[in-house]
Amino acid sequence: MSQGNTQSSKVQTTGHVWDGDLQEYNNPLPNWWLWAFYLTIIFSVVYWVAYPAWPVGKGYTTGMATITYKNDKGVEKTTHWNTRALLMKDMQDAREFQKKYFDKVAAMPYEQIAKDPEMLNFVASAGKVLFADNCAACHMSGGQGKRAFAPSLVDDDWIYGGTYDKIQETITNGRHGIMPAKGGADLNEGEIGNLANYVLSLPGESMDAAKVKAGDELFHGKAACFSCHGADGKGNKDIGAANLTDKIWLWADVPGAGSADKQVEAVKAVIAGGLNKGVMPAWSGRLKADQIKLLTTYVHDVLGGGSKK
Amino acid sequence: MASVAIGSGEQYNYDVVRKFTIMALIWGAVGMLVGVFIASELAWPFLNFDIPYITFGRLRPVHTGAVIFGFGGSALFATSYYVVQRTCQARLLSDGMASFTFWGWQAIIVLAALGDVMGYTQGREYAEMEWPIDLLIAVVWVAYAIVYIGTVMKRKEPHIYVANWFYLAFILATALLHIFNNLAIPVSLTQSYPLFAGAQDAMTQWWYGHNAVGFFLTAAFLGMMYYFVPKQAGRPIYSYRLSIVHFWGLAFMYMWAGAHHLHWTAIPDWTSTLAATFSIMLLMPSWGGMINGIMTMSGAWDKLRTDPILRFMIVALSFYGMSTFEGPMMSLKDVNALSHYTDWTIGHVHSGALGWVAMISFGALYHLLPKLWDTKMYSIKLINAHFWLATIGTLLYITAMWISGIMQGLMWRAYDDFGNLQYSFAESVAAMHPYYAMRALGGLVFLAGMVLMLYNCFMTIRQAKSVAAGGLAASAA
Repeated sequence: MSQGNTQSSKVQTTGHVWDGDLQEYNNPLPNWWLWAFYLTIIFSVVYWVAYPAWPVGKGYTTGMATITYKNDKGVEKTTHWNTRALLMKDMQDAREFQKKYFDKVAAMPYEQIAKDPEMLNFVASAGKVLFADNCAACHMSGGQGKRAFAPSLVDDDWIYGGTYDKIQETITNGRHGIMPAKGGADLNEGEIGNLANYVLSLPGESMDAAKVKAGDELFHGKAACFSCHGADGKGNKDIGAANLTDKIWLWADVPGAGSADKQVEAVKAVIAGGLNKGVMPAWSGRLKADQIKLLTTYVHDVLGGGSKK
Repeated sequence: MASVAIGSGEQYNYDVVRKFTIMALIWGAVGMLVGVFIASELAWPFLNFDIPYITFGRLRPVHTGAVIFGFGGSALFATSYYVVQRTCQARLLSDGMASFTFWGWQAIIVLAALGDVMGYTQGREYAEMEWPIDLLIAVVWVAYAIVYIGTVMKRKEPHIYVANWFYLAFILATALLHIFNNLAIPVSLTQSYPLFAGAQDAMTQWWYGHNAVGFFLTAAFLGMMYYFVPKQAGRPIYSYRLSIVHFWGLAFMYMWAGAHHLHWTAIPDWTSTLAATFSIMLLMPSWGGMINGIMTMSGAWDKLRTDPILRFMIVALSFYGMSTFEGPMMSLKDVNALSHYTDWTIGHVHSGALGWVAMISFGALYHLLPKLWDTKMYSIKLINAHFWLATIGTLLYITAMWISGIMQGLMWRAYDDFGNLQYSFAESVAAMHPYYAMRALGGLVFLAGMVLMLYNCFMTIRQAKSVAAGGLAASAA
């Protein structure tokens, strides 16, 4: 093959040939390349002078750049540039920016926040991401909940109470709902069926009258359901016993059952097996008090399901 | 030159080169197929089908293993064995050891993929294989080094050609990286614990990870470039001096830069600074290879109109230049604060992997295949079609990831008027969906090109064999 037959013929090759036709010109380094390389070195040296860079003995060169931040005790400190101090400073700056509103949240009673449009805007803004990052995994993005997993926060049915105080208590300490299993030794299959018929009749489903009557007796007698859910079946918020007279079902998929028989089966399964999975973790260790207060307001007033009493 | 090629069946060991060439093509298609599938899983999660073995977490290392070590590795074995023999005018040191590296390397790829799918993993990126496979890799790699260095030592040429320096650096550095990154205490056949812990372990992993990019995916493929570009262009290398300076620049500086993968984490600040600055200083040494490649083609520009193989090479060098510019930029701490953990990183890797590594390999393999089977490529038109599919696929892929990555970074740090984060994490995931679909499409287009290549190469080999068989039959009669 031909080589060096065009404009480069003035430049010499190194004189070596490999594999028949492989050769190398001896062109000098391109000037722009060389100067760009020197520039990157100068850039690096400047960087080294400014920031922590080279290990020396057990320490390192700290660089000339500094950061001023407040330590945990509020004392202002100036150190050489480092990522930890930078994080402290960034967090403080952000906190400073939000402080005005968070201080107000902490100081104002709930009812007053709810009446202040500017404060509610802040709660909506700060609560949106707090809720999405901490609560939405179970209660879903709009707080609509998930059947057999986490209750809806946008309806007016509250297992543990929907007042500000109760919501704050729930978020702070978490909840753990338990319903004892009634299957096996306690009640036989037929009795559990009768109970299910009675429970379904409470919110107004039309059920077999005889079974409802038998279930009624069990509910208020041998099965002792009334001791938690109340004689009227309206539940007890203090211990998280659900209201059975509304059409809201968290654990048994009654609305999706399709037929009356399947509704009975769904309720029977809950009565027979009991419940020990209604667990909400406590957030006091993860969220600050003012964040919990803010989330309480968000759930109560922004999602809008909160109750007055 | 033609006289050298004839009778080379005896002069050189082409058998192992042919085997590695075929496996490069097969692993390329397999690895890219898995890549398209996992990209689709991210866009359409139902594709998990609730089967644990095919979830993203397990198939991702199958993808990276098959394309980096299966496709890239086999292409490097094939081209390095070919280049070292031809530029040293010496047959490989040992046919038996060369054959061992072939079968050993293929076994490693298969075992690694099986381990990944079944859940046996060290959890080290690009080094997921458990310790028995690591030992096998070490043995195969030492055999490779002995064959390669032995062949260079018995060369009949007085000087060592530049491509061989790069292959040598790749072989030595990879041995070093592999061994130190995989130091572990085994507790059973399928489980081990790394020798290092915490930040030191993270630094070890990224010292390995970054230099796997530097010496496996950059230096070695530059070796490939230094042989196949001047061969295909029929022109001498532009500058011998530049090749020396940028070779030593790369070899010296790459090793310092790994910690830029760990910016803003619990590593010491000074390691971050050093990593960032050495990454910046790497820019020009990296570009040295691009300049030498592109300037070698100058004077042969007219060939780009007719030669799709040369077109693969020039586009590969362009993507190489672009991603080695992007890399140092992303290694600056402030840029990294935006780009880290986002799809921008994935886009950057693929502009190097698809644009540079795969394209230069396609060019080299299209050059190599007809030489190995002593024939012509079955279809130049298909090579041309492959070129366009590969280019369009790469552009779709990296554009999608740039948009998605920068959007992610911006959404994560967006504040509203009250100083509150504006978006939840889930919202950023939802916003990425269209770009994930676009990325999967880009990958599919790239894979389509790879399948065309597989077909074209298969037909080339078949046609070569039928000609050879016809010749034999004629002489027998």
